[in-house]
Amino acid sequence: MPLIECKDLVVRYGEIEALHGLTIAVEAGEVVTLLGGNGAGKSTTLRSISGLVKPVSGDILFEGQSILGAGPEDIVRRGIAHVPEGRRVFPGLSTRENIMLGASNRKGLTKAQIRAEADGMFDLFPDIRPFADALGWTLSGGQQQMVAVARGLMAKPKLLLLDEPSLGLAPVIVQKVFSIIAEIRKLGTTVLLVEQNARMGLSVADRGYVLETGRLVLSGKPADLWGNEDIRAAYLGGHARVKATLPAV
Amino acid sequence: MDLVLQLLFTGIGIGSVYALVALGFVLIFRATNVVNFAQGEFSMVAAFLMVIFAVDLEWPYWLSFLLALAGMALYGVIFNLGVYYPLRHRTYLPVIISTIGASILVANTMLALYGPQPQVLSPVFETPGFNVGPVYLDSQYLLIIVVTMVLVAFQYWFFEHTLLGKKLQATSQDKEMASLLGIPVATMIMITFVYSAVLGGLAGILVAPILFVSIQMGGTIALKAFAATIIGGFGDVAGAIIGGLALGVIETFGAAYISVPYKDGFAFLVLVLFLVFRPQGLFGERVAEKA
Ligand SMILES: Nc1ncnc2c1ncn2[C@@H]1O[C@H](COP(=O)(O)OP(=O)(O)OP(=O)(O)O)[C@@H](O)[C@H]1O
Ligand SMILES: [Mg+2]
Repeated sequence: MPLIECKDLVVRYGEIEALHGLTIAVEAGEVVTLLGGNGAGKSTTLRSISGLVKPVSGDILFEGQSILGAGPEDIVRRGIAHVPEGRRVFPGLSTRENIMLGASNRKGLTKAQIRAEADGMFDLFPDIRPFADALGWTLSGGQQQMVAVARGLMAKPKLLLLDEPSLGLAPVIVQKVFSIIAEIRKLGTTVLLVEQNARMGLSVADRGYVLETGRLVLSGKPADLWGNEDIRAAYLGGHARVKATLPAV
Repeated sequence: MDLVLQLLFTGIGIGSVYALVALGFVLIFRATNVVNFAQGEFSMVAAFLMVIFAVDLEWPYWLSFLLALAGMALYGVIFNLGVYYPLRHRTYLPVIISTIGASILVANTMLALYGPQPQVLSPVFETPGFNVGPVYLDSQYLLIIVVTMVLVAFQYWFFEHTLLGKKLQATSQDKEMASLLGIPVATMIMITFVYSAVLGGLAGILVAPILFVSIQMGGTIALKAFAATIIGGFGDVAGAIIGGLALGVIETFGAAYISVPYKDGFAFLVLVLFLVFRPQGLFGERVAEKA
């Protein structure tokens, strides 16, 4: 049984149909990347899973149970954490406070325990340790991304949804963020990673799906997707003439 | 000099009332992005509850006071469920209209029950006041100042040092993100309304022996509190407190040195001057930075 399964999801925003019957699944322990260009429906897929948008038809099963119709507060309590597009760090709260609030879905913890856990996150994210008391709005994009991922991990999720963690970051910072995703993978957390940057997405994933205007067009192992020059040129924004190699996972 | 000190005391006393109401204004504005036009009625309803319990029923003052505050907490719950909650997914406009409707409904209900004559509520203490050097300290004003200071300190502690305070802040900064973290957004907003209603109610109870209890008191207090939030910088918590105190002092000095009948006019003159020359308020830049 997959950990999460989307079956024939159809999502509409008013007149616009963003997903036309999407079926994907992620097994427990996997890191799966969902690729596609602007407006392909990647964020919509994650927003459906975390309960921010209500699909008009189809089903979403988490651990075999339908979570369709449940609200975001309920879904994160079941163990799905969503790190949304644009990081969404609370601007008026400090780094540490932002991270601490990530545990809001877990019951029975004292403030001291949460604080200790939040400080423990700085081992995984040493770059933001010096900014523990800085307010969210003062942080750089890369720092905010790390806060957002750390905050997501504080939920102790069974499934972590990451929406374009590389967006707008300098290449060095992108490398850092992805090495953290590789760490998270080692911890055994299942990850569904949305990316426009196909090379980075595939570099950490076990499998990839490629979405185009609300439809699944391809799926497979990173090597099969990235290794095929036609696919790369057509869907992954790779240039056929550039001989990019897939980084070892 | 003695007169200046005396006026300062009075001004800070009345300004504290504006500050409490303004605080409630700002907290609701930050949590819901809506200006609550029925904020002043929180004070009026609480003052009428005091009249019912302490004057009509002749219950002890302290008991009436506690019951009135409990009543305001309940009023906050009902207000949230009836005026805000059904419209929470709409734009700000329907919600604003809904608060205006609530304000008219509540004021006219009180008019129907009590008629237009102002009611009188006696001060808390039997001793009207005492002299400290040249300054006469009216005990009701002194009480208002002390209660406001305690509440401001409590609120600072609550928002800065408790997890619930942080969750309330998170909710006011980004509701969708807060819900993704499992923060119960609807409950947080409910708490905000209850706290705001109790704050406004407390201000109403404290100021009632000074102003008389009438259906107009809500509107007057709300306008002053609104002016205070503009002076302080809309949406800024510290700004609301300082704006409230500043307004109380300005109107007291204006009344003493320029003209008593135009006392309320000074508040609005200051309001207009701020809107024209410094619309972001005293602390506006900080707000702009936060956004
Ligand atoms: N709130 C909304 N209202 C109306 N249409 C929307 C809304 N959100 C998304 N859409 C539309 O739905 C489609 C899918 O959008 P979505 O955000 O899921 O794409 P995406 O793959 O995440 O793109 P990007 O890489 O640019 O983030 C697009 O056509 C988009 O314009
Ligand atoms: Mg997106």
